[in-house]
Amino acid sequence: MKIVMKFGGTSLTDGEGIKRVVEITKTSLLKEIKIVIIVSAMASITDSLFEVISRAELGDLEYIKDFIGKLATIHHNAVKVTVNDKEILEKAMSEINALVKELERILFSVSYLREATPRSRDYILSFGEKLSTAIVCAAFQNQKFEAYWFTGGEAGIITDDNFGDAKPLMNITTQQVKEKINPLVEEAQIPIITGYIARTQDNVTTTLGRGGSDYSATIIARALDFDEVWLWKDTDGIMTADPKIEPMATTIPIISYSEAIEMAYFGAKVIHPKALEPVFEQQIKVRIKNIFNPNGLDTIIEKHPWTNTDKIVKSIVMIRDVAMVTVSGTEMIGMPGIAAKVFGILGDNKINILMISQSSSEANISFIVPRGDLNNIVNVVESALLGSVVKNIYSESDICVVAVVGVGMKGIPGVAAKVFKAVADEGINVRMIAQGSSELNISFVVGEENDVRTVRALHKEFQMDKFNRSVSLI
Amino acid sequence: MKIIIIGYGTVGQALTKILYEKEKQLFNKYGLRSNIVAVVDRGGAIISKTRLKYSTLMKAKASGTVASDPNFGKPGLKALQVIEEEAADVVIELTPTNIIDGEPGMSNIKSALTNKKNVITTNKGPLVLALITLIELARHNGVHLRFSGAVGGGLPVLNFAKKSLIGDRIISIKGILNGTTNYILTRMAEAHISLETALKEAQLAGYAEADPSYDLNGVDTACKLAIMSNWILDKNVKLKDINVSGILDVTLSNIKKIEKKGQTIKLVGSIDDEKIVVKPQTLSKNNPICVDGVLNAVAFNMESAGEITLVGGGAGGVVTSSAILRDLIEIRRYTNS
Repeated sequence: MKIVMKFGGTSLTDGEGIKRVVEITKTSLLKEIKIVIIVSAMASITDSLFEVISRAELGDLEYIKDFIGKLATIHHNAVKVTVNDKEILEKAMSEINALVKELERILFSVSYLREATPRSRDYILSFGEKLSTAIVCAAFQNQKFEAYWFTGGEAGIITDDNFGDAKPLMNITTQQVKEKINPLVEEAQIPIITGYIARTQDNVTTTLGRGGSDYSATIIARALDFDEVWLWKDTDGIMTADPKIEPMATTIPIISYSEAIEMAYFGAKVIHPKALEPVFEQQIKVRIKNIFNPNGLDTIIEKHPWTNTDKIVKSIVMIRDVAMVTVSGTEMIGMPGIAAKVFGILGDNKINILMISQSSSEANISFIVPRGDLNNIVNVVESALLGSVVKNIYSESDICVVAVVGVGMKGIPGVAAKVFKAVADEGINVRMIAQGSSELNISFVVGEENDVRTVRALHKEFQMDKFNRSVSLI
Repeated sequence: MKIIIIGYGTVGQALTKILYEKEKQLFNKYGLRSNIVAVVDRGGAIISKTRLKYSTLMKAKASGTVASDPNFGKPGLKALQVIEEEAADVVIELTPTNIIDGEPGMSNIKSALTNKKNVITTNKGPLVLALITLIELARHNGVHLRFSGAVGGGLPVLNFAKKSLIGDRIISIKGILNGTTNYILTRMAEAHISLETALKEAQLAGYAEADPSYDLNGVDTACKLAIMSNWILDKNVKLKDINVSGILDVTLSNIKKIEKKGQTIKLVGSIDDEKIVVKPQTLSKNNPICVDGVLNAVAFNMESAGEITLVGGGAGGVVTSSAILRDLIEIRRYTNS
């Protein structure tokens, strides 16, 4: 058995967190499982790097000095808690100091120029992972493991030069990662690789964008043809609903890649869809596990959906912070190209649309957008369209989107009826409905005041608190 | 177009000759002006910012290495440095095949593509080991990787299959793909001589390399089958997936025994849905792929069109140069330099 284990920032809050990472990995190593480890930056470090970049662009030297001091302290403390072997400790401390010093120099140069190019931005962001990975590696060495750490680029991940959101060149990456990392795996050594960062063919540092560390894990698993990817997070796998909204929410035992992608789209912060791309084809299983409850329930994401389930619906996802815009006018009826016009304008302004619905009479088109952009969007649409065929543009911001996701809905009649009856029985009015023709989800809009009640009503209707786990083990 | 040639043996020299001899014709017909600005061989490099003269190249090579030229020679200079530092449109990589790690061709080709230079190669090692990787690298850098001469020598096997056979399904491919062994087997059958004698003849005639082991043990044919499978049929075939036996066990008495029945023994490579095999096979002399001497023959068994066979010169510098020239003209058509 060969597994890529990825530890996210929530696993790496401090030295104790890093100790936990070593303990968890040890359990698997004792079972003769071969492991490659992917490490994120320590908790909130990446955010603070983004912040310090914008301060550096303002030329705030004091902020940089202060930040560097704090950054050094956090990592010094973490390594002191985890490592007691004097030699390893010294080496790790000097690695940290060298990295921090380099970072300071770069931040100073950004502050002199008052500009961080995408390229230098990625380089600065890469320090979060380099620091944490150096410490995790020292922690393993401290426990007498033969561990070595690499940046993603050193490990062989080669990307295009789309800084900030780079894409791997998968064939070259596969070849290089195999050459570099496989020999270590065969020798039962532990390769520890920075998540999130990679490099171009010319050795310039890149980052893989949001969800980048999960992406690193799946890229490495695909390149090495491993059996599974374990993503260690701070929840028991993927839940049927947000436990803060629905206390009865429980862990979903198995979902398919496509269900996971749908859920991620609707805001379940479990895995970024792109991170599933590398494993999709080779059918490498992805497990979402809880670092604080390693023997607890987890979720497996795999190719074949769980067909033995009586669960038509697997998850209910709610998106807050959205708003609905409706464009209407009787002249829009039968007017060709009006939808293209509306969405073309939104596209030109790089506005992300979450949901669209058009009445068959064509007298109005509604769409859901991020609430933060609402004023801007209304302004853009008004100045471009109002007064021609469009007579009215109105918006509502006191709404939320609820999405019901599950591959079991496909081809089963009456799911929609069940969904809307459950909502109606609660006396909740549905404002807008959309179903993708993939039939993997039904999403609809309700008033924000009904958010919790809607989720709970559906959770109850589809008996989602009672997932039959024994079936999942077949 | 500025051209760098890496590896300057029979093929490289024959290519140079053609490029200079047909210079006018190539320019008038295809707008191709080939400016060879650097050549690298084992002894080093010869480099000029403008085009090198034919006489300069030939004179230098005649004294052992191109690096011996008093004006432009750079003894000991490595190919990688030339590829990285010299401005050029096309790198023609002609170093010998190595199926263990593809080197030095692998690094040369990667470096050329990364430096946004088009690549033409006849070196099978890198293509067998990393075809999809190299194609990805070429695409990412917006340049072309062409390798017509790697399979079939002058016979346009790859382009024919990839372009001319579109729409139909290739059920199987069968052929004689190694000129050296075919020359040896032909001579054994014609003159009733032993394999060893025929090999010596082939070497004297310049058809066999100093180290002919890849030809004799079937590996050269296997490499060509791997490239065909991966490029034409979009498979992911590695050398280890191919069942290979060469001609070393073929004896004169084997051949004599069947010649009266109008049959002979040929080293045949074949690809079908189930397996890829290289082995000496008994063929009827009427079989369209049963060709003699250094000729190559490839038969495509098509679902609708039936069997289509290409026959032509497979080995030798001039023949292989013609394939490289085709690649060069195609690259010229895509670029505007």
